[in-house]
Amino acid sequence: MKVKVISRSTDEFTRERSQDLQRVFRNFDPNLRTQEKAVEYVRALNAAKLEKIFARPFIGAMDGHIDAISCMAKNPNHLKGIFSASMDGDIRLWDIASRRTVCQFPGHQGAVRGLTASTDGRILISCGTDCTVRLWNIPDANIMDSDDSSDNAAKPLAVYVWKNAFWAVDHQWGGDLFATAGAQVDIWDHNRSEPVNSFEWGKDTVISVRFNPGEPNVLATTASDRSITIYDLRTSSPARKLIMKTKTNAISWNPMEPMNFTAANEDCNCYSYDARKLDEAKCVHKDHVSAVMDIDYSPTGREFVTGSYDRTVRIFQYNGGHSREVYHTKRMQRVFCAKFSCDATYVISGSDDTNLRLWKAKASEQLGVLLPRERKKQEYLEAVKNRYKHLPEVKRIVRHRHLPKPIYKAAALRRTMTEAERKKEERRRAHSAPGSMPTEPLRKRRIIKEIE
Amino acid sequence: MAEKKRKTREDNMQKNGVGKKNKKQFKFNTQRLEKKNNKKKNDEQRKTGPRLPSALQKEIDFSNPNSRNSDEEIDSDEGEVYVNDVYEYEEQIPEEESKKNRRFDPIDNLASEFEFPDKLPDQFECPAYSEDENVLSDDDDDDDDDDDGCNGRNDRWDKSNQSKDEVGEEDDKRHARMLQGITGMPSEAFEGKKRKNFVVSEAYPESEYNPSRDALDGEGRISIQDLLDPLHGKPGYSKLRKRMHQLERKSMSVQAPLPKADREKLERKVAYEQSKRDITKWEPLVKKNREAPTIYFDEDIDLGFSTVGAIASEFEPRTDFEKKIASLVHDAKVVEAHRKDGLKLLELNKISVEDVKERQDRLAKMRSLLFRHEMKAKHVKKIKSKTFHRLLKKDRLKVASAEMQMDPEAAKEHAMKQEFKRAEERMTLKHKNSSKWAKRILKRGLSAQDEGTRAAISDQLHQHALLTRKMNSMKDSSSSDDSSDEDDNDELSPGSDQEGAFKLLAKAKEKTLKVIEEEDEMPKSGVLSLPFMTRGLKKRKDAAYEEAKLALQEYESSLMQLEDTTGAESPKIDTSSGRRVFGVAKKQSQELSSKINSNNNGGNSDSEDDFKAEESVDVGHDNSSASLKDAHINPILLHEGSGIGHEPVFKSFDDVVRDPGPKTTYEVAIFASGSLKKMKGENQVDVNNRKSPRVVEATLPRQDLKEVGEDSDTESGEEMVDGILSSGTKPGYELPSQADLIQRAFAGDDVEEEFDKDKQGVLNEENPEPEKPVLLPGWGQWTHIQKKKGLPSWMLEEHENAKKKREDALKKRKDAHLKHVIISEKIDKKAEKLHTKTLPYPYTSKEVFEQSIRMPIGPEFHPAMSIGALNRPEVVKKSGVIIKPIKFEEVNPYDKANEHKESGQAQKTKKSKNSIGKTGKKMKTREKRS
Repeated sequence: MKVKVISRSTDEFTRERSQDLQRVFRNFDPNLRTQEKAVEYVRALNAAKLEKIFARPFIGAMDGHIDAISCMAKNPNHLKGIFSASMDGDIRLWDIASRRTVCQFPGHQGAVRGLTASTDGRILISCGTDCTVRLWNIPDANIMDSDDSSDNAAKPLAVYVWKNAFWAVDHQWGGDLFATAGAQVDIWDHNRSEPVNSFEWGKDTVISVRFNPGEPNVLATTASDRSITIYDLRTSSPARKLIMKTKTNAISWNPMEPMNFTAANEDCNCYSYDARKLDEAKCVHKDHVSAVMDIDYSPTGREFVTGSYDRTVRIFQYNGGHSREVYHTKRMQRVFCAKFSCDATYVISGSDDTNLRLWKAKASEQLGVLLPRERKKQEYLEAVKNRYKHLPEVKRIVRHRHLPKPIYKAAALRRTMTEAERKKEERRRAHSAPGSMPTEPLRKRRIIKEIE
Repeated sequence: MAEKKRKTREDNMQKNGVGKKNKKQFKFNTQRLEKKNNKKKNDEQRKTGPRLPSALQKEIDFSNPNSRNSDEEIDSDEGEVYVNDVYEYEEQIPEEESKKNRRFDPIDNLASEFEFPDKLPDQFECPAYSEDENVLSDDDDDDDDDDDGCNGRNDRWDKSNQSKDEVGEEDDKRHARMLQGITGMPSEAFEGKKRKNFVVSEAYPESEYNPSRDALDGEGRISIQDLLDPLHGKPGYSKLRKRMHQLERKSMSVQAPLPKADREKLERKVAYEQSKRDITKWEPLVKKNREAPTIYFDEDIDLGFSTVGAIASEFEPRTDFEKKIASLVHDAKVVEAHRKDGLKLLELNKISVEDVKERQDRLAKMRSLLFRHEMKAKHVKKIKSKTFHRLLKKDRLKVASAEMQMDPEAAKEHAMKQEFKRAEERMTLKHKNSSKWAKRILKRGLSAQDEGTRAAISDQLHQHALLTRKMNSMKDSSSSDDSSDEDDNDELSPGSDQEGAFKLLAKAKEKTLKVIEEEDEMPKSGVLSLPFMTRGLKKRKDAAYEEAKLALQEYESSLMQLEDTTGAESPKIDTSSGRRVFGVAKKQSQELSSKINSNNNGGNSDSEDDFKAEESVDVGHDNSSASLKDAHINPILLHEGSGIGHEPVFKSFDDVVRDPGPKTTYEVAIFASGSLKKMKGENQVDVNNRKSPRVVEATLPRQDLKEVGEDSDTESGEEMVDGILSSGTKPGYELPSQADLIQRAFAGDDVEEEFDKDKQGVLNEENPEPEKPVLLPGWGQWTHIQKKKGLPSWMLEEHENAKKKREDALKKRKDAHLKHVIISEKIDKKAEKLHTKTLPYPYTSKEVFEQSIRMPIGPEFHPAMSIGALNRPEVVKKSGVIIKPIKFEEVNPYDKANEHKESGQAQKTKKSKNSIGKTGKKMKTREKRS
């Protein structure tokens, strides 16, 4: 007779330390657990609810400016530092961790319109309507930490006066060049008092400029003639111009996909383009109800943040048609600039109400150190939620966002309008000769032409 | 040298048959023509003709140094010393005469060629030359060539040289002859070279204001060759010349520059194409990242110190204070002292001997105390004195009671104990004379015992009574119920005969009537008064009412039947036996209902049953009570043709069937069908497979049931279907047919109708019938019209429409044509939330989507090894780590494919190290690791 007994070696079941977890043996036979789908569905539902409960994205506001924030710049080499400039010519360096001003950079006579920092995090460049480009030394990070006095003012490293007012500035990734935008696009060197190169294509004012971080010699600008222009520094000439039906306020390159950029347009939408195929947008990101003022990609390249004139900050997936998240507070006014932090965890917005606001990029994320078990649990809940996100109950909870009344109404109005337009076009098409009114996708509809 | 040239020229003139006497300048024109021709020939000869030995060539060159130079060399005369020596035109002719200040119209000059202007009569001798087109073209060429050479030459120079030419002619001839003799080549081979130095004189000195025709034609430019020539012989010349040749061969014409706008456009186009190409190189990398299930941004990060110790070790004193402290801390003396101190501290850790001893003593004392106590307890237990124990008990009780009075907790405990004892007693019946001792005494007889034993017995019984006594205060109602039940039983038990049955039925009827009549009052307040509760209550009540009604009917019918049987049947037949059968049959039916599909006896061989049945036939009508264990035997038995006493059997069977619920009847039906089959000879088939075939056959009885009527007394009216059976029966008695039997068997329940009713109910619920139009006086139409015409037409129409709609809906139902099936089309709200309305975006087919959520991903369903991989988020990053933009790296497509496969298939496989190395530093899309 064969006697079956449970035999377990003591080595396997002896814990090394008393804090160790007891070993648990499970039988993973699916026949033993027939309700796993139902169980996971309920978990997903609960996770969705918990996510809503824990969604507290606003961390704090940083006040100190006495005029509307016009632009911001992040320090690519230092996580905590962020620069902001206001319409009265004030430039400040903030410590995000303590949410205090670390340093001020006085000197500009008019509004500061552009702000950028070099890749090594040593030099800050600002430009504005007073026709000057100013280079500043960024104080050392250690000093930033130790010094408490907020009124230490820095002296400019260099001041270059030029012929026209500036609208924007951006620094090349990893190089010594930076580009300013104004009446034309000027390429400057740190050490030269005059631009090393300047481009002009058309006579309209260039309002924003952005270097491609992946491909440092390519830059894109937007101009008040509703155009988006791509330049190549290697051939030192403009490359291609795209004219849309409405003006593009800002532009941002995807740092992980050097061919793609997204344009923040006046018509409330953002358009993602492939720089090689400008005849059609790759994706249209809708949801804002007023002009999009600024856009910045997350360093992961998977999402981007936009600030809008409708007083909201939204976070979009790089390939999503609608926003993943919308942030707003009662006191936040028109958002003029928005940035992702360098570790893709926070979002900073600067608005008309002279404040910078710090948000979490994931509204319900738990900040601080997570124990491995806790992290695993959260990953599991996230995975389960992601799996059942299509089911109506979960979907409803996950997608629900509370919106201020004006925005809600404006969105409804926009929906009505687009619906009406669609209907009208449908009817027109129905009453015209077949083929005479080809359908044009929204991705193409807003593009007027591409100029060589 | 110049002389030599002149001689050759003269020579040429003679050869060409032109008179030597004509030494006028215009003759030169013709000569030039000729010369040009010759020269061309020579050139060709030089290229294609026989080659001279190099030494000879050298000699020739030496004797005729210019011969190697082409005429162009002479053209660039200004650079040459010897030419300059001879031509000094500038000095000879004043500037004014050279018409420097006068601009020549180029057209004029060109025209002069054809029109022979008077100004230059001597330049052209006769028009005959110009008539020949070919020659003319040659002439043009010639002119060009020669004019190159003649730049700045004048007539006078030519004139002055004429005489010398004559002299040199002789020499040239002789020289040519000599060459001819030596080389064996015609003298013409050498002539061309010599005739190169033609000098064309023009009327006016050539200058920038008086350009030659060639210059005006744009062909009189200085060529690279001209510039090269003076370099001839110098080091690097050949190399230079070779390069020039190459250049000339590849030379392209330069277009006129485009307008600026176009040029810029082209530039931009090129720039765009280039940048496009540059950007495209990222594509594989980007694709790889996009396709990766997870991208990692937390690689290779140095977060600095991980422990306090590491931080402390890096500490460096900066301020004065810190330095001072550091100097103190690191002082050698202090360190030594500290070390010693440390030793002391260690010593302090030691425990003194006394302490240990004391502790041991204490422990020993405690142990001895415990031991003593134990011993005492044992001793007390051993004492046999009852009085001692009684006293002890009394004491204990006293203490306990005192305690109980003192605190309720103890009292409660006591009560619990008491209750436990009672329960124990009830279970074990320990005190009910069940012990060995008590049994023995009882066996002997109580009277034989002495006083004490008797008392002990009685005491025990008393205790039992005490312990098992009911707590009337707690269970009043139940006891009263019991008593009433007992009453019922009492009433029932004697009535094993018909009267009893009558009584019982009558009583039941009465009771049900009472229940029906009884009107339950709805609760007016509390939870039960809530609308849904009252609804529920009402529903339940309705159901109960229905049931009661049914029961009442049943009672009545059975009462009737009883009367019938008593009236109709002969007195010989023992009714009590019927009763008995009834009892057995009841038991049997219960058996059936309890084990749903156990046809155990069906499993037994039928022959045995048959045998039994035969036996039973012999025995008589009583048999059934003894041998019948299965319902299915009944029909067989009947078919065997036992003549006597069928009635009671049928009766009993009827009763049996009527009694139990539908389930039982169903089972019986199954049996019936099974037995029918067996009768046809397939008896052994379903012995082994007990479950499945029966279920299949379940439909069979239903058809038979169609004819089943309420009345159970129609048995005689039916004809037998089976011939065998009819043959077996006695002529005097007509056996009921199969259908009849079944009809009888299922007299009580009409499954089919019930099902129809159910289905109708479901249909009504899902597609409710439209409400009948109700006449509301004053509504819809004027009252008097309403009174006359009845319902308004639109109401009727509406009703009709609604009806039609309902019918359509019913027709559309899936179960419209399925008679025995109900397919509910009610939408289940609870199930609805588990389905998506449309297929979610990335999925293209329902199957794929369902597959994607089929497997659970939780830790309960997977080992810990694979959980991490299953739940990994799309982007893994660490907060506080700066993420740099993408950096270019070559992507090996093969590698990628491999990786893809791996990630799809398994989680355990770890990626090999070299593949990690390949995928660079920045963003490694690693294999899922667990």
